[in-house]
Amino acid sequence: MTLPVALYSAPDGVEKNFIPTPDDPRYLTTEGRTTGPSDHVLNAGQIDRDKPSDPKYTADGSQLTYLSQLRTQLTGLQDDINEFLTRRMELAKNKKKAGAEEKRIQEEINQLLDGGDGEEDAD
Amino acid sequence: MTSKREMSLDYTLELQIPFETEGQASIATKVLSPDPILKPQDFQVDYSSEKNIMLVRFRSIDDRVLRVGVSSVIDSIKTIVETIDELS
Repeated sequence: MTLPVALYSAPDGVEKNFIPTPDDPRYLTTEGRTTGPSDHVLNAGQIDRDKPSDPKYTADGSQLTYLSQLRTQLTGLQDDINEFLTRRMELAKNKKKAGAEEKRIQEEINQLLDGGDGEEDAD
Repeated sequence: MTSKREMSLDYTLELQIPFETEGQASIATKVLSPDPILKPQDFQVDYSSEKNIMLVRFRSIDDRVLRVGVSSVIDSIKTIVETIDELS
């Protein structure tokens, strides 16, 4: 069967193709790693009522139905996209944090170079 | 006319989903198309289908909004696929 695919593009020039590997276990399940309640919530006793059904097999039981294969591949693809975008978000967050810290240090240096000793208003 | 705000939706993701038949791709597209976008100035989705392929194009102001929107739409598509699979 043809695989579901995705192409990401960002203004900083980053592009990424997402293509499932059909035999990889992560593309053979309907239970995603990045969707549904967290382990913490489940361990606290919460029941996942929105849990996706297991994939269906063909009448002779030899393989998954076409649509079940599509659903398991979409689940893996969704995990790939979610994990990739989460990493991108972390990078942007760290970059922002580093920029703020750099600005703070620069301001402190400028203040010292200007002879700022906090006594401007003393007279 | 394209607004200045809409011009900034330059984080994009294009998704191609091969359904078993042209009819299924068309149904999925029609089912999702009426869904309103809560913040169209931050996130846009376009659905279309060509033969048995459903095409979904996402545009967003940043990676965070894109992640939330894309994952939500894929959840909906999986539900549609699951429903068709159960009823066929």
